[in-house]
Amino acid sequence: MFVLASTTSGIFIQTMVNGITLGAVYALVALGYTIVYGIVELINFAHGDVFMWSTAITLVVLNSMHVSTAVYGFALIGLLLLMIVIGAVVSGTLNVAIERLAYRPLRKAPRLAPLIAAIGVSFILENIAELWLGASGISYPDFFPNGGIVLGDVTIQYIDLVVVVLTVVLMYGLNVLVKSTKMGKAMRATAQDPEAAALMGVDINQTISFAFLVGGVLAGVAGVFYSLVIPVYAYNVGFELGLIAFTAAVLGGIGNITGAMAGGFLIGIIKALATNYLPNGSDLSDAVVFAILVLVLALRPSGLLGQQVPDKV
Amino acid sequence: MSASPSHFQQKMQNPLKSLGIRKKIGDFLNNTKFLNRSLSWYVTGWRVGVFWGLIALFLPQLLNFSTNFLDQTYFAPNILLLDAILCGIYVMLALGLNIVVGYAGLLDLGYVAFFVIGSYTVAFATSGIIRNIHSQVVNIPALTFWEAIPLAALIAGFMGVLLGAPTLRLRGDYLAIVTLGFGEIVPIVIKDVPFFYGALGFQVPPAPVVNTPFGQVDFGNPLDFSAFYYLTLAVIILIVMFNILLRNSSIGRAWIAIREDELAASASGVNLVRIKLMAFGLGAAIGGIGGVFNGVMTSSISYDQFSFQVSISVLIMIVLGGIGSIPGVIVGAILLRFIDVYVISTISNMLQTNTALANPSNPFHFLVSFNLNTTKFLIFGLVLLLMIILRPQGIIPNKRRQLELKGVGLAPEELSVIGEIEREEEGSSAPPESVEGLGDI
Amino acid sequence: MVGKLKALKSMLELQNINTFYGPSHVLQDMTIKVNQGEIVCLLGANAAGKTTTMKTIFGLVKPKEGKVIFKGERLDTLKTDQIIKKGIILSPEGRRVFSRMTVRENLEMGAFMFSSTTQIAEDIDKVYALFPRLKERDKQISGTMSGGEQQMLAIGRALMARPQLLCLDEPSLGLSPILVQTVFDTIRKIRQDGVTIFLVEQNAFMALNNADRGYVLQSGKIILEDTAQNLLKNDTVRAAYLGG
Ligand SMILES: Nc1ncnc2c1ncn2[C@@H]1O[C@H](COP(=O)(O)OP(=O)(O)OP(=O)(O)O)[C@@H](O)[C@H]1O
Ligand SMILES: [Mg+2]
Repeated sequence: MFVLASTTSGIFIQTMVNGITLGAVYALVALGYTIVYGIVELINFAHGDVFMWSTAITLVVLNSMHVSTAVYGFALIGLLLLMIVIGAVVSGTLNVAIERLAYRPLRKAPRLAPLIAAIGVSFILENIAELWLGASGISYPDFFPNGGIVLGDVTIQYIDLVVVVLTVVLMYGLNVLVKSTKMGKAMRATAQDPEAAALMGVDINQTISFAFLVGGVLAGVAGVFYSLVIPVYAYNVGFELGLIAFTAAVLGGIGNITGAMAGGFLIGIIKALATNYLPNGSDLSDAVVFAILVLVLALRPSGLLGQQVPDKV
Repeated sequence: MSASPSHFQQKMQNPLKSLGIRKKIGDFLNNTKFLNRSLSWYVTGWRVGVFWGLIALFLPQLLNFSTNFLDQTYFAPNILLLDAILCGIYVMLALGLNIVVGYAGLLDLGYVAFFVIGSYTVAFATSGIIRNIHSQVVNIPALTFWEAIPLAALIAGFMGVLLGAPTLRLRGDYLAIVTLGFGEIVPIVIKDVPFFYGALGFQVPPAPVVNTPFGQVDFGNPLDFSAFYYLTLAVIILIVMFNILLRNSSIGRAWIAIREDELAASASGVNLVRIKLMAFGLGAAIGGIGGVFNGVMTSSISYDQFSFQVSISVLIMIVLGGIGSIPGVIVGAILLRFIDVYVISTISNMLQTNTALANPSNPFHFLVSFNLNTTKFLIFGLVLLLMIILRPQGIIPNKRRQLELKGVGLAPEELSVIGEIEREEEGSSAPPESVEGLGDI
Repeated sequence: MVGKLKALKSMLELQNINTFYGPSHVLQDMTIKVNQGEIVCLLGANAAGKTTTMKTIFGLVKPKEGKVIFKGERLDTLKTDQIIKKGIILSPEGRRVFSRMTVRENLEMGAFMFSSTTQIAEDIDKVYALFPRLKERDKQISGTMSGGEQQMLAIGRALMARPQLLCLDEPSLGLSPILVQTVFDTIRKIRQDGVTIFLVEQNAFMALNNADRGYVLQSGKIILEDTAQNLLKNDTVRAAYLGG
């Protein structure tokens, strides 16, 4: 994630490429916020930490497999798929368990209660990781070979391509799932009117668990992608990334799946530009993202792709 | 629940209750007489408040007196008083956040921002030093500490309104995230924007010496914090009185209305945004006052003292004590500080110095390296989660809020489709024994 | 005689139902019976507890005491999605169509428990035959339809579950007199297809004119129970619900 180009336009394009790659990660995490919010109207505060746990577990697995350098060929494909599966299983299971243990008992409670519970869960997840692997950053075994397509003074890393392509594939799959499968229909119906959905024979609990599963799986995959792009594990990475991804979800219109995808890429690009072109950019880019969040919420709370979520105050 | 309790309800009872321990204690207290009154009379209601109020009032004297029989290396009165003052600052914060969360029902996750603003305001105002864009010192007319308190409250309150105005129209959970972001951004801004010179920290002059008819009182004496302690206590009392007045005012009733049913409240003519802004601004102002005391007390402030953890700690205090309940949030703040400052470090010390554990063949040897401070926030997270699930009304519930948290009086749409949960909750809502609950001040 | 007894085979029974919302006792010792092939209506003023009765039958609120029995099986121990698999369905108060789905998608949701696409397509055609209006609006987002159209959709969606007992909560609410007539005509047609009907109404006149039997609910208690013809003549009913 460095800008190595030398010409002005080269720097700009390289920045955009970096932004799109991270944007893919943000989009995958944002989808988890949006799906869960769409169905239970809860900001799953712990979602960023669910993402982080995928980076933590895959890190430990890679270390125990003594992977430390790049691998090639079929080994690379196999290892990448294995990590994706592990990350997906870890985060998916974790998210489902969180819903079951912390949110479900509060489904009837006033809105503040599940939100506060979510904060508690986030704290717990983060601090267990800190206890386990320590507070300082750990370098992530970067098994994906360096190198990429050189276009003038811009290099598009292979890993960037892989991340973006696989993200697009996942998004397509998600669209099919939501639009055309029975579970997808159950999710949409539950999101619109859980009571009416139950009256159609939808098992609400199961549907909500499924939504958390999907969100968790996407976050788990995102965790692996992120670690390959920025190969440093940190126990608190989920906090900041969660905030960014949530902004992406709001930008796209929370509850709106296409919106979350678009919002993720957009925030990725904006953040990359801010990091590169603002003085003290790496710190202030967070402030920029926050400013976007406040502006969107103040001026157009339904998001850019605007699907007005009917307010069930 | 007015009808006879069903068998289902009995089955769902808390195991502690079914063992009857609480009932036995309750019966004992109810039946034992002292001076013509049952013991339970002495340990309930306003009398408990009076007892602890007296302890607070005479704390410096009690601590001095304790040196007669306690080891001063562990129980140095002045250090303990310092702890008490810091605890008092958290009490202020909890009372302030309680206006926002408890009264108006708005979740503010970036409350630390106003704490920061208060701390820096007192630093700039009383030192008379700010830095220009090139980090050079610029002298401005210095204010006194006394002037800095209302100034900080004003600035923090203003910032609260500024943040709230565009965002308070939003639903509660959006607000939570925006405030969270705000709490993160303020320290970053302080660090990176040269004006604040935050990266190097900032010195805060001590509180002043004041001439009174009874002689000189040194509020900033580092060898004897009693004067500053009483100042803190006085401000807390003022804040408590302010909270009570607020709650019983028409604004207070409007807050209850919006908390219970936003739609109905706005239909009945409550100006939602203005009323919410009021809560936000007042809560922020109190946070600012807390910041002033913090700034003076810690004397050197820097941006990294103000983390998300502070915001969450204050939130945990009010959830622990009882959302919306004044005695509750005070107790919550004191309890959490106590756990934080004493319990956790004491256990850590005990583990690390225990000779039996030091023996490597001891199966619990690994505990030697166990530093509880790193698990502090894990414990806090657990406290928050367990409280909100198992006892959302907190240690000392606010009567009205208790009903709301049980889902009575909510709009039908808010009741979920899952009937089972409803039953479980009803099962646990048996009327509390007489010992419980200190009443609603 | 034998034929008549057979016709009175019980379909749905509420036995001594007591339902609470928090401390308020909304249904008090309610007993109701619906026999196979009947149209039974439940009358009552606002807040009498009519919707709560429906919610209790469908497990959306749990009764504290009493039983709900459908064709000999207890429903009150089941969850909503299990209840409707027994062959009983509710068209809820206020229609509650999925407003961001098309008409067809709504109907498909009604058949959520079935998987045969051919069956679903056939049933959709049957619903369209019953409500030609809906057929024209096949692809329309249902939230944009008129109230009357949404009511037809809600009934059609309920029929997609192939119920033996159809419960309707205020199907005439907010409809013009002509539409009310259409809705009740449809209800009778549905009964002719062998579906038993349990109807909650405030429009007592229409309900009693189309029903076989009726119950009158007042503040959570059943105060009257009789044939529709007798209820139409009953003084209390006339005074309270028929405007004299
Ligand atoms: N979710 C709820 N929580 C608390 N009370 C409720 C709830 N739902 C209904 N009630 C109360 O229960 C009583 C009965 O309500 P219900 O909706 O069953 O009346 P209804 O007969 O259907 O009235 P309407 O004709 O207006 O639809 C009312 O007093 C209502 O306020
Ligand atoms: Mg009703």
